[in-house]
Parts: sequence; structure tokens; C-alpha cells
Amino acid sequence: MNEIRSISAKQVGRDVPRLESRQKVTGRAEYTHNITLPGMLYAKLCRSTVAHGRILSIDVSAARDLPGVHAVYTGETIRTLIAEPYFGPAFHDQPILAIGKVHFVGEPIAVVLAADPYVAAEAAQMIVAEYEELPAVFDEVEAMTSAAIVHETLKPAGTFADLKHLSGKSNTNVALDYQLRRGDTDAAFAAAEHVFEHEFHTQQVMHTPLEPMVSIAEPGDNCLTIYTASQSPSFVCTEIARLFGWRENQVRVKVPYLGGGFGAKLYIKLEALVAAAAMLARRPVKLSLTMEEQFYTITKHASTFRIKSAVNKDGRITARRCEIFWNGGAFADIGPRVTQKSGFTSPGPYDIDNVSVDSYALYTNRPPAGALRGFGIPQLVWAYESHTDLLARGIGMDAVEFRRRNLLREGRPQATGTLMHDAAIIEVLDKTAELMNWTAPFERGEGVIRRGRAIAIGFKAVVAPTTSGAIVNLSADGSAALYMSTVDMGQGSDTAMAQIVAETLGLVAERVKVVHPDTDVTPYDMATLGSRSTFHMGNAVKLASLHALEQLGAMAREVGLPEGTNYEIRDIFLKKYGMQAGNIIGVGSYVPPYTSPQKGTGLSDNVTPFWMVGAAGVELSVDTETGHVTIDRLINVADVGRPLNPAIVATQLSGAAMMQLGFTLFENMDLDHGQVTNASLADYKIPGMHDLPTVMDNVIVDNNQQNGPYGAKGVGETATFGVSPAIANAIEDAVGVRLTSLPLTPESVLRGIRALRGEKLEG
Amino acid sequence: MRGFEFLRPGTLNEASALLATGDAAARPFAGGTGLMLMMKTGVFSPSRLVCLRQTEAEHRAITPTGDGGARIGALASLSQIEHDPLLCRLAPVIARTMTTLANVRVRNVARIGGTLAHGDPHMDMPPTLAALRASVVTSGTASRTVPVEALYAGYYETILQPGELISAVLLPDQTGWHSVYLKCTTRSADDWPALGVAVSVRMDGTTITDSRVIISAATEKLTRVAAAEAVLNGATAGLAAFTAAGEAARAVETIEDARGSAAYKTELVGVYVRRALQQATGAGGN
Repeated sequence: MNEIRSISAKQVGRDVPRLESRQKVTGRAEYTHNITLPGMLYAKLCRSTVAHGRILSIDVSAARDLPGVHAVYTGETIRTLIAEPYFGPAFHDQPILAIGKVHFVGEPIAVVLAADPYVAAEAAQMIVAEYEELPAVFDEVEAMTSAAIVHETLKPAGTFADLKHLSGKSNTNVALDYQLRRGDTDAAFAAAEHVFEHEFHTQQVMHTPLEPMVSIAEPGDNCLTIYTASQSPSFVCTEIARLFGWRENQVRVKVPYLGGGFGAKLYIKLEALVAAAAMLARRPVKLSLTMEEQFYTITKHASTFRIKSAVNKDGRITARRCEIFWNGGAFADIGPRVTQKSGFTSPGPYDIDNVSVDSYALYTNRPPAGALRGFGIPQLVWAYESHTDLLARGIGMDAVEFRRRNLLREGRPQATGTLMHDAAIIEVLDKTAELMNWTAPFERGEGVIRRGRAIAIGFKAVVAPTTSGAIVNLSADGSAALYMSTVDMGQGSDTAMAQIVAETLGLVAERVKVVHPDTDVTPYDMATLGSRSTFHMGNAVKLASLHALEQLGAMAREVGLPEGTNYEIRDIFLKKYGMQAGNIIGVGSYVPPYTSPQKGTGLSDNVTPFWMVGAAGVELSVDTETGHVTIDRLINVADVGRPLNPAIVATQLSGAAMMQLGFTLFENMDLDHGQVTNASLADYKIPGMHDLPTVMDNVIVDNNQQNGPYGAKGVGETATFGVSPAIANAIEDAVGVRLTSLPLTPESVLRGIRALRGEKLEG
Repeated sequence: MRGFEFLRPGTLNEASALLATGDAAARPFAGGTGLMLMMKTGVFSPSRLVCLRQTEAEHRAITPTGDGGARIGALASLSQIEHDPLLCRLAPVIARTMTTLANVRVRNVARIGGTLAHGDPHMDMPPTLAALRASVVTSGTASRTVPVEALYAGYYETILQPGELISAVLLPDQTGWHSVYLKCTTRSADDWPALGVAVSVRMDGTTITDSRVIISAATEKLTRVAAAEAVLNGATAGLAAFTAAGEAARAVETIEDARGSAAYKTELVGVYVRRALQQATGAGGN
């Protein structure tokens, strides 16, 4: 138990095994699904069967009469408790239970509470709702002009300045019309040597955390405790307090480990419903979604991206115009932020003088879409890197050389005007090309098997400005505990943050205790999202640790020890208190500098505190008789700054790449008039072990993020960027087929091969 | 989920009696791997489940039949079949097929009788066994022997009558036959197949004397393709015959689903039948 300061060096950059591994493999780790409370009721939902309709009636009598049912509530019941029961991070558009009308198939319209979850499930099936069906819109481009309007009036939440102008707007499905203008694109296109224009599509997919969403609310005397699988406990606290008209300190939100999040468990999901139900029933209420129900809760935006570029005779891109339509589904969730925060990077990591971006968040009558491992970036990179390959092909230049000629370099202005710093874009490209042995001849296959290879590179600006706070408690025996609201959902944040504490205080990372989010105990954090924790929380944790260290130094001076004493921490405490007593509380809070983009132009001299850069290199084989694609090799190269824990970084890279591989090759929510027809893991397939590329390499380039904690920056999303376009580009390299819609199914490849021969598949 | 009866009779005859009630929501329950999925998703709500596990001691044995074949008790688990030395010698295609059939946890629990009686056209064992010319023996009031290929009446439909249970699978002698099952998935590797093709070919030198070509998954029900067999029988094993058999097999009616369009599956049928025959015979390239 002796914490010796002198052996503590090099805690950062060390492959510390995850602190929770033993707990997890022995089944002892705490998850919300395992929590039961005395007197707890189970909630089951009745959901809309129509995509858009006015509710004529909801008959709950049979459900209410089923023996064992405690209560049945509808939107009207909720209104007896909360006058305006609408929530959401960007718009207050999501009712706790449907009121007046339904916006998508699967929208919750009533909840049944029972002590037995099977009774609740059966009763929920007995609820009968009648609707007057309304015209529905499902396509994001159609939603721009459709007669079908998802929400009668727009209700921005008020948190985001760029949404204020939408307040009270009616007769529109546009939940944000973001634009960026730099230079003179019209003139540049008019003067261009070559102009290329393409349109790309992505499909709606789902996060599929293997731990489905789950929340519990426990009512108290004018207060609530919420146990929830959430990535954003602080936001849940704020939003529940707002809904009830309470102080934040009347709501306590506790989050144990998560079995995956990927953006699905952000902001507020089931928490408002269990909170309202618990207050109405005066009993604890638990809602555990099934895997199937997750398809009706949150998804990844389908998108359409129209991109046009001007290229001069030297192979330099002189202008780029981007028009992106985000299919946000029935509720905005965080879609408008995706639209803007990702939108401004839509021209790609290229040095282009004349840029124009229009990015639209759209309501449709589909299940809602939010953030999914990349916050919109994978949809954009898919399009601009497919397009970029087509530009190189179009002017007859090597794909790597074309990129190298156009990529942003240190100190050059990105589309917003912000100067690039600490973004190892060229280094990532060069490393990828080197690992692929790009300049060497390539084996192109024979017979029915044809081989191809390609690369793609993307970047992301971390969302800004956001705040993190941390507390470090240094005990009298020299042990430390870290109090923070970052959620460990499998990404390894507990371990990485413990390493920062240990490095700063001279401790051993394995012995730092991490206290999990509890809004009564742990300080505010914006959320665990968008690869922001390592940088923002990491900086806050470092500041809190330095604050503790400063106090320890003062204590040492106070007891007469010289500067740089080799006394152990516990001996300093002992000298001060005469016994093992007391503690030191270090606090840290971090919010990076930021300049809001100008309205209209979207320009800013400081739009983000750091950039993430990721590239994929792909070698693949195509079976020209069936269209099947085998990924022979996938190389993921990333700039993560200085990795705090290289082993965990490597698993984050491989996990992100595999997830994107599923979105690239086969994952797809099949919709029939707004009804998801494959809402189960039997019919919606995610990648498994057998879908791994034959060879996969995860490589980190040397870099130092100067404003990051110990040079580090975010990593969770970086390896998603390049996968989709690299595969599409390699398919074209192999068989000459250019696919512009995800997923890249064997059927679409075969249809492309046949089309090249002027043939069609029969039927 | 409303409560249901769960009965555990000691013999298949007792089980048959408990199931012959005219109630479609009364179902036999062996491994439960198919039925439980349907129950969990609310597709099927039973009134009565008749568990067959008490009959396991009597009905799980795998024994030689004396004429070079084997008899597999209906309660034999898929893992038991996968690792049975007799079956591995007799028809190694079974063990090979098992390696891509669900996963080891499912194979440890699923029973061959239930696998065949479930009627799901996407399963791997029915086409494999049909190509091996296997039959099922049923118990109940009118016991009968039915070729596996004749067991299916439609999508999730069999010709089994209420109360009629599969008691065993009969596998004939495989001497001179060469068999292959190819599973084609179009999404993840562990997806249900878009197409299953099982072929068996009997050779005399380089001449094909008899054959079975079975298509599943892409069709509404398991389908034996007589037209493809007609092309093969009497032909010399080789690319020309196999390509022609694949062309003939394209006549089966394929159905569209999330795994591909009907037209695409028809393409796959042609390619996979040819490739299965190439692999089974080692002739005609690969």
C-alpha cells in the first residue's frame, strides 16, 4: 500500500491494463441493468404504428385492467405533472410521451408500469390507439420542399445561438441551415481548368451498443435519483431539473459502467420518462429497452452530399462547393450540431481558397438520428474522399500525389479561416502510403478475382467550446481518488485519467481510484462524446492534480521541509497532523479558447482547440462473378497526439475501423413507409470476428498536441474516417465500378460490373 | 408474455398426444433455439410447450443401420452430430457444414429433429441432409418415412401433421457419392444465408451417374432442382456440365429480401451451383 513517489515516473505513455478488467471478466462490474430497488416497477412502452398521424384516441382500459398492472400513463397524464413535457439538447421537440400527434413508427405513446416486466409487456400490447394518418416524408432532400411538415412550429432549446433565428418558424422541416462562405467560388469555377461534381449517399444505421438503453428513477421528497446508462450525466441533471422546474440539486444522476455508447446514450433518452413515471407513481421505475427498441430510439443520420470541385492544370483544387442534407428523423436530438460542427469540415483537409458550404438539418418521419462515433464526419469523409479520388482519376494524377499536393499544412487556414496547428495531416498520409508500399507494383489478381487498393484521409475538429471539471482527493496515506463525470463506456477513460493523475502526482496509475459519475459528488462535464474527454477532461484532471500538488508543496513548506523533498506524501501529512489524518482537494476546470463563427460566412479564427486526423489504406479482392469484396488488408493510421496508453489507443482504432466497416459493407436499417423492417440482431447484422480484414494494422504517427494533457488528444472516432471511401476507391481500382451509396453490398458491386459491360441483372 | 403450459412427457407417443389438440399455439420444444427467438420477439406466443428432452435417452443415439447408412435420433444435438465418428466417416460434409452453422452454443443445444421441423428455409442442415438423400421417420398415429426434400410445404411450413413428430433421420450409404454444401452470405459472415447450395454427385470414372442439387434460403422453401440434375446425370464431370447445371438451376424461383434482390440471388444460384459441383468433384477448375 506504500505509495512511493520516486518510482512513479512514466505513467503516461505506458500500456496500463484497464483498471476495470478484473471486475468485468469476473462479472462484478456494476451496470444499470443489474440495479433493482425496493418497490421498483418495470415500465414497458406502447409505440406508434404510423409514421405521421394525429392521435384520435388511446384506449388503455384493457391494459389498466390486466391483473398486476400498477398504472398506465399517456402524454396527457404526463402533462398533469409537467405542463410542457418536451425535451432535447437542441430543440425542445421530443415529448416524453406523444401529445396530439405521432412523428414516426415507434414513437412512445403510452407506458405501462407493473411489478412484473412480463405483465407490463403484455399490457402494453393491449393498448389500442387510433390515428388520422398525415402525409409523411422520409427522404432528406424531399424534406427540404415537402408538403409534409414534421413539426408545426420549431422550438429551439435556447442553448445554441445559431438556432435562435429558427424560433417559432413554421411550415419548414429545416432544423438548421448552416452556411460557410470563403473566397469567391463562382469566379473560381468560372476560371477552372476542370470541374467535377458528384452526389453521395449514406444509409440510416444504428449504434447497437450491446447493453441496450436503461434508466431508473427513484423518487424522493421533491427530489429524484436517476440511475442511468448515460454518456452525459450532467446534461440529464440539468434537463430533468428544467422539466420539473427544480433546482439542479434536487436531481441526482448516477452512472456506473456502460456496455457501449457510441453516441446512442447522449443527452437525454429514457431519463425524462422514468423520472415523470416515478413521480406520478411515487415508486422507483425502471425502463430497460430491448435490442429491438433501440432501433426506434436513436440512429445515425442518413445523408445526401452534393460536392463540386474546380481543379487547375497543376492538380490544385481551387474551389469546392458542398451541399449536405442530414436526415435527422422525427426529433432533432443533436442533429443541428452535427450539421454545423461537422459541416464546416465538409470541404475536407484540403487547402482550398474558395469554399462554400450549405449544410441542412432536416426533420423527417423516420426514427430520430443523433451522433454516432464521428459526429457526422464519416458521412462527410465518405463523400469528399470518394470525390477526391475521382478528381485525381479525372486529371490522371496518382491519388496519393494529388492529395499531398492539396492537403492542409501547419499554419495554413482551414475553410473557416482557423489556422491549422498540431494536425499531422501530411504525416498521416505519408505513413499510410509507406505502409502500403504505394510506389511498388501491386498484384492485381487473375481470373474471376480482381484486386484493388486505395487510401482515404479525413479530419475532424473537436466540438467547441465545452467544459470539464475534475476533483482529485489526495488522502493522508498518499493514495488518490479522482472524481469526474466522464463515463467509461468501454473506451478506457478511467485508466487514461488515472494515468494523468499518477503522472502529475508521482503515483502509480493502477492505484488511483476513479469515482464514477454522480452529480451529487462529481463535478460538471459537458458529456462523454466526440473524442473530447482525453483532451478536455484530461486537461481538467491535470489541472486538479497540479492544484493538489501545489497544496502538497505548501504543506511541505509549512512543516519545514525543503523544496523538492524526498519525503513521501504520507510523511508530509504525518508531520502536519501528527497522525494519519486530513486530505488535500485539488480542483481543476478546463474550457478551451474559442471564437464563434460569424453568422453567414461561418468564419472564425479559432473554431476548435484541436484536430483529429485519420487515414485508411485498403487492399481488397473482388469476386467478379458474385460481387463479394474481401478486405485483404486494412491499415488505420491516426494522429492522436501523444498516446497516453498506446495499447488502449490501438484497440480504439481497431474498434472504430471495424464499426465503420459494418456501416460501409452491410449495416442498413430497412424502412418500409417509415417502419423499420429489420429491427433485430437476427436481421440487422453487425460485424463479427469472421468479418475482420485478413490483415489489419493500427498505426499512430508521432505528434504532440501542444495544448493537450501531456501532448494527448482524442482518439475514439479517428479510425472511422477513412474506411468507407478507401473501400469504395479500392473497388473502383479493382473492377472499375464507382459506388456512390452506402452500404457497398456485393449486389451493388455486381450490378456495377454488369453495367460496365452494358448488361443488367435479369429480373 | 402470458403464461403457458410446459409439459414434459416421457415418450414421443405421449408427446404426440399432448400436441394433437388442434391448438396451433401448442408446440413441441426440443433445443428451443428457434422457438425461443420467436417467443422473445413476440412472433409466437405458445399456449402449451411440450418438452421432448425426457425422451432424449431413447432418441438421441446415432447408430449404423447395417446397410452402410446411419440412423440419427431426433434428439441428437447438432454438436453431437458434428463430432460423431460414424457420421464424420460416412458424410464429412455434415461436420464441415456445422462449422458455419450458428455458433457452438447454439449447436450444443439445438436438436436435429427441431432443426428439420422448424421449416425455416435459411437453415443449413436441411439442404445438406436432402443432398445426402436423407429421410425422416415420424412418430405419432401414422408413422411414415419422408425424404427431407419432401418435408417442406412452404415458408416455415412442413407437411407434418399436428402431433406428428420427427423421431429419427435416416442417412443412406454414401459410397461413391461426393457432397458439398456452400453457404453464401451477403452481409456479415454470420448472417443467415442469402443462398444455400448443397450438391451430391455419384461418379463412375469421370461420368456422373446420379446427382442431387438442392437450393435453400434464396427460395421460399428448400428446393430440389431436377432440371440441374438432369443436365448432370450421364454427363462428363467438368466445367461445361457444371456451368450448364448452374444455368439450369437458375430456373428456381428466388425471393427478394434484405440480403438481395431476386435477380441477384438467381445470379448467385448459377455461380454457386457450378462452384459446388467443382468442389465436390475436384473437376472443372475451382
